[in-house]
Amino acid sequence: MAAAALSAWLTLQPGTRTLRAFCTSVSPATRSAIPSPPDRRPRYERPLRRKALPPRTEKMTLDQDWPSVYPVAAPFKPSAVPLPIRMGYPIKRGVPMAKEGNLELLKIPNFLHLTPVAIKKHCEALKDFCTEWPAALDSDEKCEKHFPIEVDTTDYVSAGPSIRNPKARVVTLRVKLSSLNLDDHAKKKLIKLVGERYCKTTDVLTIKTDRCPLKRQNYDYALYLLTVLYHESWKTEEWEKDKTEADMEEYVWNNSSSEKNILETLLQMKAAEKNLEVNKEELLATKEVEEYKKSVVSLKNEGDNENTLSQYKESVKKLLNLM
Amino acid sequence: MAVVAASRWLRFRCKVCLTLTGQRAGPCGQPPNCRFYSGSATVPKVEGANVTGIEEVVIPKKKTWDKVAVLQALASTVNRDTTAAPYAFQDDPYLIPTSSLESRSFLLAKKSGENAAKYIINSHPKYFQKDIAEPHIPCLMPEYFEPQIEDISEAALRERIKLKKVKASVDMFDQLLQAGTTVSLETSNSLLDLLCYYGDKEPSTDYHFQQSEKSEELAAEENNKKSKKANHQFGDLWRPKNNAERIFALMPEKNSHSYCTMIRGMVKHRALVQALNLYTELLNNRLHADVYTFNALIEATALSAHEKPEDKWNNILELLKQMTAQKVKPNLQTFNTILKCLRRFHAFGKVPALQTFREMKAIGIEPSPATYHYLIQLFYHHENRSKGSSLIIYDIMNELTGRKFSPRDPDDDMFFQSAMRVCSFLRDLELAYQVHGLLNTGDNWKFIGPDHRRNFYYSKFFSLLCLMEQIDVTLKWYKDLIPSVFFPRSQTLIDLLQALDVANRLEVIPQIWKDSKEYGHTFRNDLKEEILMLMARDQHPPELQVAFADCAADIKSTYESQDGRQTAPEWPANSLNYIAVLFLRAGRTQEAWKMLGLFKKHNKIPGNKLLNEFMDIAKASSSPAQAIEIVKLAGAFSLPICEDLAQRVMADFAISQEQKEALGNLTSLTSDSDSDSDTSEGK
Repeated sequence: MAAAALSAWLTLQPGTRTLRAFCTSVSPATRSAIPSPPDRRPRYERPLRRKALPPRTEKMTLDQDWPSVYPVAAPFKPSAVPLPIRMGYPIKRGVPMAKEGNLELLKIPNFLHLTPVAIKKHCEALKDFCTEWPAALDSDEKCEKHFPIEVDTTDYVSAGPSIRNPKARVVTLRVKLSSLNLDDHAKKKLIKLVGERYCKTTDVLTIKTDRCPLKRQNYDYALYLLTVLYHESWKTEEWEKDKTEADMEEYVWNNSSSEKNILETLLQMKAAEKNLEVNKEELLATKEVEEYKKSVVSLKNEGDNENTLSQYKESVKKLLNLM
Repeated sequence: MAVVAASRWLRFRCKVCLTLTGQRAGPCGQPPNCRFYSGSATVPKVEGANVTGIEEVVIPKKKTWDKVAVLQALASTVNRDTTAAPYAFQDDPYLIPTSSLESRSFLLAKKSGENAAKYIINSHPKYFQKDIAEPHIPCLMPEYFEPQIEDISEAALRERIKLKKVKASVDMFDQLLQAGTTVSLETSNSLLDLLCYYGDKEPSTDYHFQQSEKSEELAAEENNKKSKKANHQFGDLWRPKNNAERIFALMPEKNSHSYCTMIRGMVKHRALVQALNLYTELLNNRLHADVYTFNALIEATALSAHEKPEDKWNNILELLKQMTAQKVKPNLQTFNTILKCLRRFHAFGKVPALQTFREMKAIGIEPSPATYHYLIQLFYHHENRSKGSSLIIYDIMNELTGRKFSPRDPDDDMFFQSAMRVCSFLRDLELAYQVHGLLNTGDNWKFIGPDHRRNFYYSKFFSLLCLMEQIDVTLKWYKDLIPSVFFPRSQTLIDLLQALDVANRLEVIPQIWKDSKEYGHTFRNDLKEEILMLMARDQHPPELQVAFADCAADIKSTYESQDGRQTAPEWPANSLNYIAVLFLRAGRTQEAWKMLGLFKKHNKIPGNKLLNEFMDIAKASSSPAQAIEIVKLAGAFSLPICEDLAQRVMADFAISQEQKEALGNLTSLTSDSDSDSDTSEGK
């Protein structure tokens, strides 16, 4: 209907003034409201300047439905929010500025559309879109057991002409290695393969993919990586036999230099005592040597701290019969 | 409500995927975690997993919904804000419209801005080629209105027809005929369609902005308008021997589509006799017309002048019989056209209208709101209560309760207006509530129509409420509807004030005045007089009196500012009286005395009651000087009450001798003038 009226205005003007017709088309309707130039009419005849209405907070009742006033995220409207809010830096023993015309209140994000009442109503309305939680999964451990893999994705929403956001393609896949069926060699190989993606303290492998342009493709790629890692870690290649001590992840006592050293020391001790018929295995099987082995292993694996050092000291003393 | 709505949106997926997904509803803001059922080879089943104790994990099927279902669900939790202006306006105290004229002009301004932007984009399309919208938004891209094909061929003709260029396509057609190529039947038919739809004139170009063609057309239109001003309300008229007829004659073969479109074009542009003639020609050529043509012909027979209603009705019945003979099924428009024509027959049309309605139901076509609108108009045309009104509105409302309409006829949006008019005419509030309930069912609010129709509907509804409903409920409706839904006229507010008067709730009046100032009733004299009259009529408790006096002072200031605006100030005598009385009662005697001065200035006469009240006040404050002032004033106006006042002064007050003499002079003057006039009359 507005367009029909507009076309009526347009047809009344000759073609050369079509463009100006847009600007002046509303003039007959609002002639009463537009102030005329003051030099043409005498002063007392100038029409009254348009006055602002009182803010509509005055009409709001105390028990009104607030989610209806702010149904969506909207900028702060001082005439629609009935709270006496002040914000701003008080200068020279003054007070913070009032809410009318306050830019600070406009700049910050407000959550007036998400009061607890509104959230409750939204949840009620959204319940119909949800299915029930499976009854069998009533604890975290059960969830972990049945669904060990966790996949994180993020969707982004913004106001603008385009709904695409390149950050939305990132997919993060997390799995605990304890839930995978790996033996010792496979686990060590897997950890070596993934490198930094494995966290020792929580035993979680995190694979984060964003090399494909679409989320679906990244997700498929992450699953593919997990599959490949698993299968590869179970295989044993030819060249793995060449694993040296420097490649070892943790300290292993058997065939280590420390073992050799202690064996030599013990043999020397025994030789000094003129006790030549001693068996190597027997020597190694004695309790002191076991203790020494434990203390050295813990020292090497856990690092230096009071406990391990004192353990080492005790075991050495015992071993060398210094006590 | 949410449940009902939900069943509409949700569809359960029937197939079961191999990798079922279960989604956990986390708190808002967290990314959703997907956990995968261990069906993939990555996690083989642990030995002993089938030991008893581990229950079966049943993942429910995922629900699917369409794109806007979530938004609709959230929207159902929100109601209308009764203090807010419609969402199209900026929500700022300075920018909210304060009258229906202003709201219309604001919306027009917005639309004008959009049109200006579209104009710029369409006239310089090469600057607006970059498209960052994802997914693509076609309506924001520039449109091309120039035909691309330049050579003379049928494809070029079809393109011009598609771009709705009447003159260019007619020229192309002529060129094709001159070149000797035959134009196919379909293309000729589509050209005829274009010509008949637009009546051989260029379509309105407010969106196409073609300046060169427009100037010619405008000159032609202006000439047309000057000559045919009387018939302007029926749209453009069919010029005889125009391009459509010429091309029709030139066509080597015509099928029923050609005849039909010509008939419909002629009826649209009010060439009724020619349409009927063409119809007989169609029958002579043993062709069949379609249902739209029959609808047009029915309209033609009804509009033809100089015939009695019975003859017209018989002609329509003839047409309907031919329709069934040609095995053409009627549709909703057929019946609506019949009813629209019957509406003009007034009393004669009632019986045929009911027959038509029953026929429609019998065939199985569901009536649209326009049907009911025509029926209401037919049966309630004369607003003459003494004759006894039909009860058909009750039947209609019983049938329609709970029904959700969909738009099927251009006149669908007139139903609610006529229904509310009837309710107000019958003074039936229950019926009005029924109509309003129907309006609020589902999406029916869309059928309220443009601004003026909505204002009419709500004005009538609110006036009926003021008349018939209890005052508390009425005030609740007042807060709900005004001004967020409609701007009331001063008559509506006067109705509300009278309702307050009847219910003895006059304390609300200052609030009503404050509100009515907001939406543009500051300078309405009838409203102000009504308010003042109600406030000044009786005595009231002191706080209320003070409130009334403040209100009166406010109204006085509006009168004064009105003085400043116009060269001829008008202060109605009643208003002056009431304001003075209110000031007196609230104890603002100084201002009341100033009001007396205003009486003199504007040549208005104070009322007797007013002067008596002044006298009372003077007595209460025991000032004889004031009393004598009053008598002098009465004397100056030559009021007959002057004597009574003088006697009262002498009786009640202790006045000195000179004052008595002065009083005596005054009264004698007046009595002298009376006696002089008597004697002069006697002579």
